[in-house]
Amino acid sequence: MQPWQEQDGWHIDVRGLAPPQPLVAILRLVHTVGDAATVIVHHDRDPQLLYPELAQIGWQAERVAAEDGEVRLRLTRAP
Amino acid sequence: MSATPGLRGATPPQSGAPARAPIRRGAPVFLGGAKGRLLPASIPLRFFGAAAAFHLLAWLALAVGADQWPRFGGGLGWPLAALHLITLGVLGMSAIGAGAQLLPVATRRPAPGHRLLSAIWWLYTPGVAVLAVGMGLPSPPLLAAGAAAVTLALVTWGALMARNLVGARGMPGVVVHGWAAMFALLVLLGSALSLAGTWLGLAAPGRDATLAVHVLFAPYGFMGLLSLGISYILVPMFALADTPAERSQLTSIGLAVAALVLAALPALGFVPAGAAQVAFRIAALSCGAGAVGLHLRLMVQALRSGMRRELGRSFTLVRIGWAGLAASLVLALALVLQIPVPGLASWFGLSLIGVWLLSFLLGMLQRILPFLAALHGGSGRRAPTPSALTFDPALRFHFACHLAALGLLALAIAADSAWITLAATAVGAAGALAFGTFYTVLLLRMRAPSA
Repeated sequence: MQPWQEQDGWHIDVRGLAPPQPLVAILRLVHTVGDAATVIVHHDRDPQLLYPELAQIGWQAERVAAEDGEVRLRLTRAP
Repeated sequence: MSATPGLRGATPPQSGAPARAPIRRGAPVFLGGAKGRLLPASIPLRFFGAAAAFHLLAWLALAVGADQWPRFGGGLGWPLAALHLITLGVLGMSAIGAGAQLLPVATRRPAPGHRLLSAIWWLYTPGVAVLAVGMGLPSPPLLAAGAAAVTLALVTWGALMARNLVGARGMPGVVVHGWAAMFALLVLLGSALSLAGTWLGLAAPGRDATLAVHVLFAPYGFMGLLSLGISYILVPMFALADTPAERSQLTSIGLAVAALVLAALPALGFVPAGAAQVAFRIAALSCGAGAVGLHLRLMVQALRSGMRRELGRSFTLVRIGWAGLAASLVLALALVLQIPVPGLASWFGLSLIGVWLLSFLLGMLQRILPFLAALHGGSGRRAPTPSALTFDPALRFHFACHLAALGLLALAIAADSAWITLAATAVGAAGALAFGTFYTVLLLRMRAPSA
């Protein structure tokens, strides 16, 4: 999956990927975009395994509005 | 891929060799409803807690049977009790907890009902304890009662796992490993009940054949295949690597199943005694070596290509476990060829259970437990990080004790010494206490109010 950039930050669509590939792809992006960036994740389920990994590197996640069947997360550096 | 419009022409981040972000402790994270799809923390953690307790009891049981251990060749007594406290108490207990929580994540199916899992724990935990006491004393009625409870608990858990595997989406390699492990579980439980029946004096045909099948399908079948399969989830997850090629996973499990079948045929008497049986067993070991070699190659590739290179002592234990798996096949070949080495059966058992399965599991648990606790820990917007939950001094002490205990057990076999065995059990028990301390501190930190 190829990340792309919009005005609200970097986007990555990991829908349909088997675990742990969404986790790996999201963290790979987070590790490369820099602390000031925002990452928007398009997922088909709540990525439970992602949250401890984000906490470990000082990032945070919050759910944002999305269409039916999608879980959309906004990842930012924790204050 | 989403069709979301945007600046797709923008320069994408590099994906080949990503930079490593600094690890910062105590950072907050919003769990975003993650808890809704998890089992209650008390369910998997009670299985892991019981495993930690049985780990200590296993070393104590071995201490009681220290004089029999170096040349242990089967039969009731405390070495057999210690063996089953490890296989059922530590390995089986952890498999139930990990399978219940991790398999639904992999198969993308709902987690099993927590009340049924709780009932399994209440049946299985005393069942293992009674079984071990029955083996140690020995008391065949206690042994049989424990075996019945353990069998009922494992059959129920196996049914839950099978229901989960039926609707699995994707990950065919992991799913096939799961099915093969469940089949091996049925074989080992059937053989276990038959063996328990013989201790009660019931007529059970072919005790030697049953024992051979049990010894084959418990470590290499059920626990082995489950370990290999779950590694295809856990190793890429912890190393942050791509999933190993599905075709290679399927080739490996195909070879492993062929090895089990080829080894079972002579054990069950389907192959005439003599050279033909030796040929079948060597063929089985060849298939097993192929399966293990392919699996380890995939694991090494994942570790080398992963974003997280420093996996610490936990993965040193995992690597030691893999070495033990390979060594067990070499020792099995020596057994098949009847090479006259004193204590060869004990060397084989130590390599298979102590070095491979126990080291592998303890290494994985050191990563799984803080990760799982972090998912459940804290409240509101702040949750603990896995590293903040880990009491590292206890793990450092456990690591040294575990390796020293295994080394001393090997020395005890070489020297045929009960005293060295006793020293090994003292060191092993100290390590088990340290692991228990790590677990207890984890629970306390998980429940502590977060900032």
